[in-house]
Amino acid sequence: MMAGLGLAPEQTQRIERDGDVVAARQIGRHLAAEIGFSRPEQALIATAISELARNIVSYAERGTIAFATVERDLRQGIRIVAEDRGPGIPDLHAAMTDGFSTGNSLGLGLPGTQRIMDEFDIRSIPGEGVTVTVVKWKSR
Amino acid sequence: MDDIIASSAGGHGRPGGHLADQLRWFDITETDRRQAEALAVTADELAEPIIEDFYAHLLSFEDARRHFRGEEQIARVKQGQLKYFRELVSASLDEDYVRNRRRIGQIHERAGVTPTLYVGAYAYYLHRLGHRVMAKMQDDPAHALPLLLSLIKIAHFDMSQALETYVEAREATIEQREREMSELPTPVLKLRDGLLLIPVVGTLDSYRARSLTVKLLEGIRDHRARAVVLDITGVAAVDSAVANHLIQTMTAARLMGASSVLTGLSAEVAQALVKIGVTGEALRTAGDLQHGIEMAERMLDG
Amino acid sequence: MAVRVPILRQGRTLIASIQEDLSDGDILELQSRVLEDVIRHRATGVIFDVSALDVLDSFGTRTLSDIAAAVQLRGARMVIVGIQPEVAFSMVLLGLTLADVPTALDLETGLAMLGRAA
Repeated sequence: MMAGLGLAPEQTQRIERDGDVVAARQIGRHLAAEIGFSRPEQALIATAISELARNIVSYAERGTIAFATVERDLRQGIRIVAEDRGPGIPDLHAAMTDGFSTGNSLGLGLPGTQRIMDEFDIRSIPGEGVTVTVVKWKSR
Repeated sequence: MDDIIASSAGGHGRPGGHLADQLRWFDITETDRRQAEALAVTADELAEPIIEDFYAHLLSFEDARRHFRGEEQIARVKQGQLKYFRELVSASLDEDYVRNRRRIGQIHERAGVTPTLYVGAYAYYLHRLGHRVMAKMQDDPAHALPLLLSLIKIAHFDMSQALETYVEAREATIEQREREMSELPTPVLKLRDGLLLIPVVGTLDSYRARSLTVKLLEGIRDHRARAVVLDITGVAAVDSAVANHLIQTMTAARLMGASSVLTGLSAEVAQALVKIGVTGEALRTAGDLQHGIEMAERMLDG
Repeated sequence: MAVRVPILRQGRTLIASIQEDLSDGDILELQSRVLEDVIRHRATGVIFDVSALDVLDSFGTRTLSDIAAAVQLRGARMVIVGIQPEVAFSMVLLGLTLADVPTALDLETGLAMLGRAA
């Protein structure tokens, strides 16, 4: 299986307006269902995508979300990469604290997303954008 | 030094995985093996009387006596021991040897031979053997001592193999038990229309807590429940992580429109809940299951 | 933009039944329509039926809280009904508790709840 080698062609959704947020979470949900995630896990994944996509719309105006199937130690998972070329996050530490928000959000987005996914990585260069990579593994 | 410690520590569990490193850690050289082997004939001669003494010693303990079912069994075990000590002296200390020692360690562990019994028996044997060898070689004590010292090194290596199997066996038992505890099914009981009781039993790790939440929520939907009693009398340990899971579960139930009551909290658990900032307002609790059910029924009727 | 969520009226209760995944814009549009309708029909209760939703993220949840607060300021009560098990599960993990909005299992229970309060 291609996905096992991490070579599966990634599916990418452009994120420019809030309709794209809906599209992104639906793509993610379908892929999660295909991989065999349980319904509660599908909901978690869709919610995480929604938060990541909204951050792009709210803070960076445009970006992309890429979806891929991943595999490690015979375990399958889904990897989601949210990328934008916006202003970046000046204080990552603060952004990862519950309740922090500089824009039109509840401030739970990033820490909440980290809580519901298994792996979470955020990189931000001020002035160049933000890349958030999250992975959820199927429970055995 | 660090790498030796790391490798010898990391080597346990895999027979022969780092045998060379282990031997190096015990500082067992070719000389030691040769010297131990030089004792083979003497040890062989002496083994039988030592073992006789040892069993007299052993059987003077009532606990130990109860392990044996009769003379025949004692004779058989003595033979086994004789062979064990003989192998110790002439051992090639290769991977087969280690495998065999570990297998014997497992047999001991299963039979209830404790590390104390095991090490004690070893000490007894080495001590008696030492005295007898010295007595036998009294004309040449300077020659006898290094032989014995080498044998002691090898004996310690040998003991370590058996002790590792003890640790492994215990770890496996604990893991097994934890797995059993975490796989205990969580029943969702319908007490009457609209009222569910969920007795949570065992350990509540985060994986199981999540599946408990999902089960509870699906139960609410499937039974159209409006009230839930969550009884945690049977939960092994409630730390703040578990308390958090319980609160999440009850919050999720509320989102679906069901009220919940938590019962079976010990004083410590109540403390843990207070510590993470839970107040009576956020969490309805009742002293015992009976009161919890009554409380839930009032919520249904009210 | 087409009206995606019809608001039904039953006596003095308004029922907004969300049938599909809504964008943030759709939710905001729904918010202003509900508030207008509460005034226009002098509604005493509002029910948001979200049973068809399979995601309710931080924006959706916060907007529902905002709507509930505004509905209350207009003298009516709001109940959210039909949050699905997996939605409730992910909301809680995300830290979204909707603490200030009453919830009910389904439309029927929600209506009963508003009926009792009236």
